[in-house]
Amino acid sequence: MIYYATQRFLLSVLIVIVAISLLTLMLHVVPGDPATMILGPRATPELIEQTRVAMGLDQPLPVQIVKFFGRILHGDLGTDVFTGRAVSDIVFEQLPYTLVLIAVSILWSSVLGIVLGCYSALRAGTWLDTLSGILSVGTISIPAFVMALYAVLIFAVSLGWLPAIGAGEGFFDSAMHLILPAFAIGISWVGYIARMVRASMLEVMGAPHVRMARSFGLTEARIVRAYILRIAVQPAVTLLGTGVAHLFSAAVFVEVIFARPGIGALIVSSVNERNYPIILGAVLVTTAIIVLATLLSDLTVALLDPRQREAL
Amino acid sequence: MTKTNTVSMASAPFGRRAFLKGAASTCLFAATMPLGSRIWAQSGQTLRLSAYADIDALDPAFYQNGYNVDVMNCIYTKLIRYKAGREWDWELESAEEIEQVDDTHIRFKLKQGLQFSGDYGEITAEDVKFSFERAILHDSPVKSDWGPLDHVEVTGRYEGVIVLKEPFQPLWTIALPYGTGHIVSKKAVLDATDDGGNFGMTPPVFSGAYVLAEWKSNQYVRLTRNPAWTGPAPGFDEIRILPMDDTKTAERAYEAGDLDFTQITLSSLAQYRQDPPANTTIEEYPSLYYVWLGMNLDNPALGDKNLRQAIQYAINVKQVVDAAYFGEAEPATGLIAPGLPGHRDHSAIPVEGDLDKAREFLQAAGGPPSQPLTIDTLNASEWTTMAQIIQAQLAKVGIPTQINVQDSGSFWTLGMESEGDRWKNMQLVLNRFSMLPDPYYATSWFVSEQVGIWNWERFSSPEFDKLHQKALSEIDPDERAAIYRQMQDIMEQSGAYRFLTHEGSPVMYRDSLEPALRPDGRPLLPRFSGSV
Repeated sequence: MIYYATQRFLLSVLIVIVAISLLTLMLHVVPGDPATMILGPRATPELIEQTRVAMGLDQPLPVQIVKFFGRILHGDLGTDVFTGRAVSDIVFEQLPYTLVLIAVSILWSSVLGIVLGCYSALRAGTWLDTLSGILSVGTISIPAFVMALYAVLIFAVSLGWLPAIGAGEGFFDSAMHLILPAFAIGISWVGYIARMVRASMLEVMGAPHVRMARSFGLTEARIVRAYILRIAVQPAVTLLGTGVAHLFSAAVFVEVIFARPGIGALIVSSVNERNYPIILGAVLVTTAIIVLATLLSDLTVALLDPRQREAL
Repeated sequence: MTKTNTVSMASAPFGRRAFLKGAASTCLFAATMPLGSRIWAQSGQTLRLSAYADIDALDPAFYQNGYNVDVMNCIYTKLIRYKAGREWDWELESAEEIEQVDDTHIRFKLKQGLQFSGDYGEITAEDVKFSFERAILHDSPVKSDWGPLDHVEVTGRYEGVIVLKEPFQPLWTIALPYGTGHIVSKKAVLDATDDGGNFGMTPPVFSGAYVLAEWKSNQYVRLTRNPAWTGPAPGFDEIRILPMDDTKTAERAYEAGDLDFTQITLSSLAQYRQDPPANTTIEEYPSLYYVWLGMNLDNPALGDKNLRQAIQYAINVKQVVDAAYFGEAEPATGLIAPGLPGHRDHSAIPVEGDLDKAREFLQAAGGPPSQPLTIDTLNASEWTTMAQIIQAQLAKVGIPTQINVQDSGSFWTLGMESEGDRWKNMQLVLNRFSMLPDPYYATSWFVSEQVGIWNWERFSSPEFDKLHQKALSEIDPDERAAIYRQMQDIMEQSGAYRFLTHEGSPVMYRDSLEPALRPDGRPLLPRFSGSV
């Protein structure tokens, strides 16, 4: 297990390095000079050149990449030339908003999805199962940004129950500001998880070890909890691990629609402004989080399933 | 229902049923409360409004855009300021007197007793000198706002003379009442920066009606009353500016009660006019922006003036603007918007175009180009719609085109020589520039020295350049306006431009609010009054 975890960790570091190198290459392929964007239309050519030098853009591309990773080893993500602030300050100021949004979205959608999936599997073929299937597929097919728009129009504009924009201040206010965005992002995941858990449970319910458990006279509740769900939930855990990347994408739209701070909105505006230091810093952090989430989901599956653990 | 549950909770053991009942009634109660409104209601006399972008520079000598200046208007004072209303004019702010002594000398006298925040004392003429000269001393990107400023001569504790190398009329319309005209404390800035250079996002001192109480990046800017302010009391205890780069989001936030004032999109204007949100005033202001279709004179495909004129006449501007702006914007006659000196009542080419004339020019050019011409445009809905309509109109006379949609980073460097050879392949380009309330700001991008920088049409006219210089120092307003009209005629005659629109700037706000707005609808925040 330790060997497996170490192997996966090293692979994750490699993935981050490759991702950042590719991103740096892409940034230099697309047109648009960051110094010109930063300084605005009235900057003199001399000032633009000075800024390019200050940003290290006059250096050859491989040198820029090596220097970037060199700085990372010292915990320095660079400086934002727009505001003169440390990139790490800007990124880590925005990151918690996105992480909380994603975590809450995952949490509520997983709980509901697993319950719904279990219920559907245990009542397979009934009208409730059919209804659950329709609802699940329905929520999967509605994009997060459409759900976000309607959520705002119904719950904030028409009913006035919840705030429409921002992240709020203090625990209660922040929680209120989180409800609609987390609903918009999480709703399609309810469907995904429910369908996956249902299919997986139906498969496991016919497995020999479940029949064996029944023959031992264990209660149905215990069989479901200890022998079926433990295995049936594994594909959903894997899905959630890889799904963090999708959740980050969905967060971009939702952060714009709800005018929420967050790393998604930060990356989009930085790309438009060709603000390289922030793009690189923010993508490095999000890539690391996505890779870490995938790693954790793999390790969780290994922990849940003794067969996988033994195979390591 | 609440009472029953309270009694049962108090008298009975806390059982599952009791808990569920209580939780259900609490949820019901919570659900029926307008929480969003209740949360915001705690803010009291707080003015809440949206801004298209977050602030990123609070040093007046290094300001980047109008959103920074909106905040600077609150936290710093200046000698003169724009008057609120429908006509462009200025009025005194921290100056007791100001006058143009001769073409190159402007004498000012500060009001006495104006204080900086903290322990930085009274605002003096020495601070004015320091504030104005530092943009040039430190080679600010916006030093051109000061034009030929030579120096500021301090003649007394409160008096001084602004000395120019040559006459410069935009001093009164841009330099003094806008970004660079804000006054900072010499001592405070030197304490904070050593050399008096850019202090970025951390103002060391405040001289306006408000102070920057809090800035949460991408969340809000919170301004509170400046206790040291001795001028007229501002209308609100607190101003909260929320950055929202999507105006539709701001509209929804306003409808939900989270904002008191916001700009609205032209696409929503008709609907809001017909069915406005409760207790809301909607007002329309003309924008200063200018939108045009430019043609690269150095591209071989557009070398023939007849072809360019065929394109000019084939475009029905009214149709283009109606389609892109839902009939809510007016066609432009040139670069300079109505209300500014130099605005033309009519363009030489009729706004509806003239297809017969377009065909004549096309024939004179030897027929349509063999390869489709490219139309470069930004990836915003209004722009792509305009490009599509222009494409259809040009197709009517037989000119084939192809639309290239680009993101902002790529688009805004398209015609720059410093960005490689892309400018050589650029042919037709839909463009939109922002504007300050002086015609020089529009024409300055089209002089010969801007070719390959912001003059993407690569239009170069010695006569135009000469007139541009002449207008800067022309004191007679009528003569100055006539020069700018002539300059726009020259641009149009080159065949490189088809002027499209100045767009529009509608706003909405609560009836109880009394906003102070510039003639282009931009808010002058310290002068907002009323209640929210």
